Amino acid sequence: MGGTEGAVMERPACVDWAVMTDSNNRTETVEAEAETTEQRRARFERDALQYVDQLYSAALRMARNPSDAEDLVQEAYAKAYSAFHQYKPGTNLKAWLYRILTNTYINLYRKRQREPQRSSTETVEDWQMAEAAEHTSSGLRSAEAEALDHLPDSDVKTALASIPEEFRLAVYFADVEGYSYKEVAEILSIPMGTVMSRLHRGRKQLRELLADYAADRGIGKKGADRTSAAKKQEKK
Amino acid sequence: MGDCQSLGDCEDSRIARLYEYLDGALSVDDLNDVKKHLEHCNECAQEYDLECIIRSVVKRSCSEQAPDALKSRIMTRISEIRVEIGHG
Repeated sequence: MGGTEGAVMERPACVDWAVMTDSNNRTETVEAEAETTEQRRARFERDALQYVDQLYSAALRMARNPSDAEDLVQEAYAKAYSAFHQYKPGTNLKAWLYRILTNTYINLYRKRQREPQRSSTETVEDWQMAEAAEHTSSGLRSAEAEALDHLPDSDVKTALASIPEEFRLAVYFADVEGYSYKEVAEILSIPMGTVMSRLHRGRKQLRELLADYAADRGIGKKGADRTSAAKKQEKK
Repeated sequence: MGDCQSLGDCEDSRIARLYEYLDGALSVDDLNDVKKHLEHCNECAQEYDLECIIRSVVKRSCSEQAPDALKSRIMTRISEIRVEIGHG
């Protein structure tokens, strides 16, 4: 006892922390075995459907066009409903839904998009190793931080859509939804170490893209940043 | 520039440390070390701010609302599903 067990995780104030257990769902002890179809449908509608906006947002990072994203969400909900007896009340329902969404996307949608080649998520790492992101310094300074804050949503979405999918989803679940490494690992069905490396690379690429957009819009350029901006130009 | 070595030997590992800090993935001791360092290192503090801003910007930009029709489509779809108990 002691040592690691006693180490409580703390979290800086600027980040939302997705809580593992949904207090909403916990109060009720559902006897999933005993409930009727009608009761189950009502419970599903009440508990699961409230996350439709979040699932839709996540689906937009996967499908990349609104109509496919809708199909994806619909399909994921259908699967979730069919498997609702496997959901353990009191655990994080939203994360459970995200996981189903991700699996639905990988198994169904993405397979359709590409040729059914290999489906192993691990091999994906390799072809993304092109080290597009391996610049030594992003050259960002606080003036640019200010500029990034003023970027239009459309730029931010485009930037996020431009980074490789594996990175994008990790970044989305960690940074938008505030999930821990462990939770992201569960949602994406990948090891924690992979989550961390994808986050690292994804955030780095995202940050550089955002800096580029800010520079293109002529915001955040200050004397001191000229050099880094010029450096970026050369790389294009 | 401060004792940035305490966060890591190179820029990459320092940034990784800041990510862990932001991600709530540090023990209390490590977290306090980073916090202390950020208090008197401008450069790292700026990095930290920037990461915070990026997160809030991404969060702000990526919270779309599902179309109303989608919700009813889902409900229709679900009502068509006959749940086989004990399936899977």
